[in-house]
Amino acid sequence: MNTTMKSWLPPLALLALAVVLYFALPYNLAFLTRILIMAVLVLSLDLVLGFAGIATLGQAAFYGAGAYAAGLFAIHVWADPVAGLLVAGLAGAALAFVSGLIVLRTHGLTLIMLTIAVASICHEIANKARDVTGGADGLRGIRMEPVLGLWQFDFIGKTGFWYALTVLAVVFVLLTLIARSPFGLSLRGIHESPERMTAIGVSVYWRRVTAYTLGGGIAGLAGALSAQVTQLVSLESFSFTLSAEALIMLILGGTGRLYGAVLGTLVFMWVHHWAAANDPFNWLFVIGGLVLAVVFFLPRGIIAIPTALKRLGGRHAGT
Amino acid sequence: MKRAFHAAVLAALTLGLPGAALADTIKVGVVAPYSGPFAIYGKQFQEAIETYVAQHGTTAGEHEIEFIYKDVGGPNPDQARSLAQELLIRDQVDYLAGFTFTPNALAIAPLIEQSQTPTVIFNAATSSINRESDFYLRTSYTLWQVSAPLAEWAYDQGMRSVAITVTDYGPGIDAENAFKAAFEAKGGEVVDTIRMPLSTTDFTPFIQRVRDAAPDAVFTFLPGGPPTFTYTKTFNENGLAEAGITFLGTAETEEVNLQGLGDAAIGLTTAYHYSGAHESEANDAFKAKLTELFPDAVANWASVGAYDGTHLIYQMVAAAGSDGPAAVEAALGLEWESPRGPVTMDPETRTVVQNVYIREVERDAETGLLINAEKGVIATVGDLGWDK
Repeated sequence: MNTTMKSWLPPLALLALAVVLYFALPYNLAFLTRILIMAVLVLSLDLVLGFAGIATLGQAAFYGAGAYAAGLFAIHVWADPVAGLLVAGLAGAALAFVSGLIVLRTHGLTLIMLTIAVASICHEIANKARDVTGGADGLRGIRMEPVLGLWQFDFIGKTGFWYALTVLAVVFVLLTLIARSPFGLSLRGIHESPERMTAIGVSVYWRRVTAYTLGGGIAGLAGALSAQVTQLVSLESFSFTLSAEALIMLILGGTGRLYGAVLGTLVFMWVHHWAAANDPFNWLFVIGGLVLAVVFFLPRGIIAIPTALKRLGGRHAGT
Repeated sequence: MKRAFHAAVLAALTLGLPGAALADTIKVGVVAPYSGPFAIYGKQFQEAIETYVAQHGTTAGEHEIEFIYKDVGGPNPDQARSLAQELLIRDQVDYLAGFTFTPNALAIAPLIEQSQTPTVIFNAATSSINRESDFYLRTSYTLWQVSAPLAEWAYDQGMRSVAITVTDYGPGIDAENAFKAAFEAKGGEVVDTIRMPLSTTDFTPFIQRVRDAAPDAVFTFLPGGPPTFTYTKTFNENGLAEAGITFLGTAETEEVNLQGLGDAAIGLTTAYHYSGAHESEANDAFKAKLTELFPDAVANWASVGAYDGTHLIYQMVAAAGSDGPAAVEAALGLEWESPRGPVTMDPETRTVVQNVYIREVERDAETGLLINAEKGVIATVGDLGWDK
């Protein structure tokens, strides 16, 4: 019981932090909402990469699929946000399942290349299908109904913030439950040693496809949030940069721990925002420095800071 | 704890009040890329704004004007929207400006509709942006505005058959449609349309295909930078000019990249709204001040879009202060002498009506530099893409 309580502490602290930030920075809600949306995407990557050990650089494919699905659904079918969210989740999952069937038969560099290829193909399809997606101009005309019929998306972004925070919290709890389930444990096993898992009779391929599909669905939710809050979807939602940035945030925070993913997103985007606001011309240096520092000094990510400090303290006590 | 907080807020308010009452400062948020591969746009915008401010001071009418720059990086509507939101809510800006890419400009339409903020587009060239909100004003151009007059001019010069090669992305396809529609309406024939992938590095197959088709001219649209270098080089190496095929383009020979094109560029024909070599007092004054402030700066269409945009903002501020709808009202129909020539803010399309010039690249005898020498002018062209 005590350990369960303890493991819920970091996520609860993060939730509290989100609420504090809401009141502390009432003028930056749009920015905070973007962090929350990005955190959902990075969490999906954590499931795929951190838990199942599938090296991917194409997570944007499912984010983009979700974004376009939510946008098109809102324009042509029904502008209800929650329904759009579900449709986008299904779209992301469906694309992940279909592409995963092929992509996950490969390993290593081939796998990475194929995940990039899937995202590029989606990018090109969205670019070509101008009549449907608006092409390079972006998909416009998304007008959302109030969330659950109660909260209208407002100018300051209050609704957007709570909506994104709720989705993030639900995804977080869901992933925590998955991580503790027998399925989650078998994923960790596959990550450590696929051969041994095969030897004890686990269908490694299908577990990986399942994890990939789930990850795709969650990335689709992130895409939907972005489409509904921004009211525009652009080709950039399929971009390689997005996949790569999500990966950097995950590595920054630390893979394999859910709150690491959220923390990494928060730190990366905060530094990004702060540096870009202070020096819009040279801020990329700061981001580069941060990533280098973390990779050199904290190879396991920001979540390893307490351990690293403890080790440092321990050494002192020893001498 | 609570009392301390209240005291702090009170202190902040009382300290802030006299300042707010005395100096009436109008803030302008400039959203553009200042970092990464598109940073050149942000640089051109900022230099032009500062040039205008150096010429005209920091006051318009009775108001002080202050510019706040926000880096959007590249085409990124999510970022553009959240930056605009931050500018409107936290920084309390009364005007927005900048916007290089169409999706970024489109993403803020719901915001400016609600906050009634006049938004001056310095670059994004898709006609339909201005349909999304009455608060958009554009001081750049639209792709139809320059491509269609070029087609008509080409026909009038006796060219009857044209091949079209465009880069396969939004603006390229717009340019293709505009040119094709205008050229066929005149009675000309488009013998071939080729859409070249955005990542093309070797244009030989496309150029060869054009050469085999032997049209009177080839119309092309390329994104600035490396593709233009390679395309023009291939164009020359394959002897298209000798074969009597005229090069027709728009922004390909813009000033920032022009010297880099080298002798390969000489003789290229383009139709565009601004040439650095435009002979007028306004242009000379603009260029002189620009190089005085920034010795390495080169004036191009992006600088002029920003320079005229700043002028428009000054006029709106002088006329209406922070009253958004009144400011737009004041801007409509406004006429002024821009470094590019005379311009008018069209009340219907809210894009400037301007001259489109037919230019040819030459080497200037005095400076030895390549210039876009103006050979002809198609007077007062509005946004021809508005009804398309």
